[in-house]
Amino acid sequence: MNIKLAVFKFASCDGCQLQILNMEDEILQLTGKIEIAYFMEATSRKLEEPYDIALVEGSISTKWQEKHIEKIRANSKYLIAIGACATAGGIQALRNWSKNEDYSKKVYPKPEWIDTLAESKPISDYVNVDYEVRGCPVNKDQLLWILSQLIIGKEPFTPTHSLCIQCKIEGNTCIMVADGKPCLGPITMAGCGALCPKYNRGCYGCFGPMDASQAEKLAEHFINMGMSKREVTLMFKGFTSWSKPFRKVVSKYGGDED
Amino acid sequence: MHTRGLPLKKLGLVIGDWRDLERLFKYLKDSGYRIIGPKVDGNVIKLKELKSLREFPKQISDHQAPGYYRLEEGDFFRNGDDSPKKYLFPPKMEIFKVNRDLSISFREIEKVKIAFFGIKSCDTASITIMDKVLGERGDSFYKHFRKELFIVTENCIKPGENCFCSSMGTGPRVQSGFDISFTRIDGKILFEAGSERGVKILEKLKLPHANAKLKKKFIEVLEKAAEKAKANFEKRFLAEKLELAIESPIWKELAEKCLGCGNCTMVCPTCFCFDIYDEVFLDEYSKRVRYWDSCFTYKHAEVAGGHFRPELWARYRQWLLHKFSYWKRQFDMLGCVGCGRCITWCPVGIDIRKAVEKVLKWVDENVR
Repeated sequence: MNIKLAVFKFASCDGCQLQILNMEDEILQLTGKIEIAYFMEATSRKLEEPYDIALVEGSISTKWQEKHIEKIRANSKYLIAIGACATAGGIQALRNWSKNEDYSKKVYPKPEWIDTLAESKPISDYVNVDYEVRGCPVNKDQLLWILSQLIIGKEPFTPTHSLCIQCKIEGNTCIMVADGKPCLGPITMAGCGALCPKYNRGCYGCFGPMDASQAEKLAEHFINMGMSKREVTLMFKGFTSWSKPFRKVVSKYGGDED
Repeated sequence: MHTRGLPLKKLGLVIGDWRDLERLFKYLKDSGYRIIGPKVDGNVIKLKELKSLREFPKQISDHQAPGYYRLEEGDFFRNGDDSPKKYLFPPKMEIFKVNRDLSISFREIEKVKIAFFGIKSCDTASITIMDKVLGERGDSFYKHFRKELFIVTENCIKPGENCFCSSMGTGPRVQSGFDISFTRIDGKILFEAGSERGVKILEKLKLPHANAKLKKKFIEVLEKAAEKAKANFEKRFLAEKLELAIESPIWKELAEKCLGCGNCTMVCPTCFCFDIYDEVFLDEYSKRVRYWDSCFTYKHAEVAGGHFRPELWARYRQWLLHKFSYWKRQFDMLGCVGCGRCITWCPVGIDIRKAVEKVLKWVDENVR
């Protein structure tokens, strides 16, 4: 019997779901093994609950979403949070440091119509999440890897160590040591393929903190390198700013700044 | 110790110039070796295949300091972020495939003869260590790559700021584990053989013996280099002394800046930890792949039901004590060659020499 796969979206840009459609060649490996039960970006056909695997994109940022995620959890055997929004709160969690009303008054003609929670938070703050696929967006190879492992009946596994290890395995030269550029690689989880350092750009942490991430120590090192508190804050105040280790840095060096 | 000669067939030091080094290079290339040597790759020197000796970074220097590496114009380089380990113990390597019918296909290993050309004494010593760690313990892949390995070592006339091979007894003059060594002295190249096959090849080059004056210069230059490549500790009783600090609170202090990123273990020419993943390709096969791993990762010492080293300082201690202490009991040698890579490539510049010094000081002050 085919595995019933459902893809849901909360507060997000759809980019992670798009990675599934971007699989193109690889998606053929999945056909005949999975059945799309719910995937609004791809088809309007819906199948009855329950689902075997629910991929959840986006953060929770409204009251309705709080209820909806619980329903999805109850109806799914495996719930996999995909992307920086679902796993860390996403770029929209930047508003967690300020008042929503301030923004909505400036942006919307009728701000009273806007009904959001005070904070944008990851799925795991609300329900039990079986697996997380990190990134902004997720790496389609890693997503396929996890799905393939689940389909074949193997405990899904992805590395949780630093990006540095991936850089060294790929043969990338350290841009912090050889170029003096700040990079979040030493505290960020591997899995992206070390894309940014490969192109001589510092990691900006879209995969979020690795296991036992020493974000505060790296921030301190950046300060010692001569970066301003504001610069350091901005490095950590990105796609995964609301993850605990990054959040601590942002609060320490400039939580109240815009 | 670093000036000890090699009594092989009494060939001794022979003298030539850069063209003779090119002849040696060509001889090895024509003998079917894939020549791996230092080459500028972007802003670092890496060990890569050399098609010609012109690719050898003759006019380049690497400025190294803790957490710092820059290439600049100069006349001598030390090393980069990779080491011979990359070729003998590849960072990722397929071991076998399990096919749909559950049959197993082992990986066809490419039959290739590798010659390392122009690696330094520290890296030559690292191969001797890896022979013991992986070779003698029966790693068939290592043995395959190692079997036909030819090693041409460059004696290190100008050790860098992070170098301490002299304290580890691995350089700057190569002592063993090489086939031919060469040394750049006064625009000349001095050659020495370290193995029977090295002698045979050098004899083919028909080079004259170095005169007494040049031999004296050779010794002087390398003795000066040896003085430079020293840390403030002795190798004697190092393993035994450091182990006395196992319960010391000093490890927390030493690991204060550590990020647990694992860079030191990746660039270390003797760190040999690996992990094995099964990569599933539906409809096709599943691949069992070996990847480099690091004792700094959180999961490294995690086991069913617990964790040996949940604290980062304990992982730092494990790494340092393994290199400088446990290695001795395990392999009857030390695991560090003093190449300084872990100091250079640590993003926050933690200096292992200073860490060892501090531990020794703690032992002196606290253990009776």
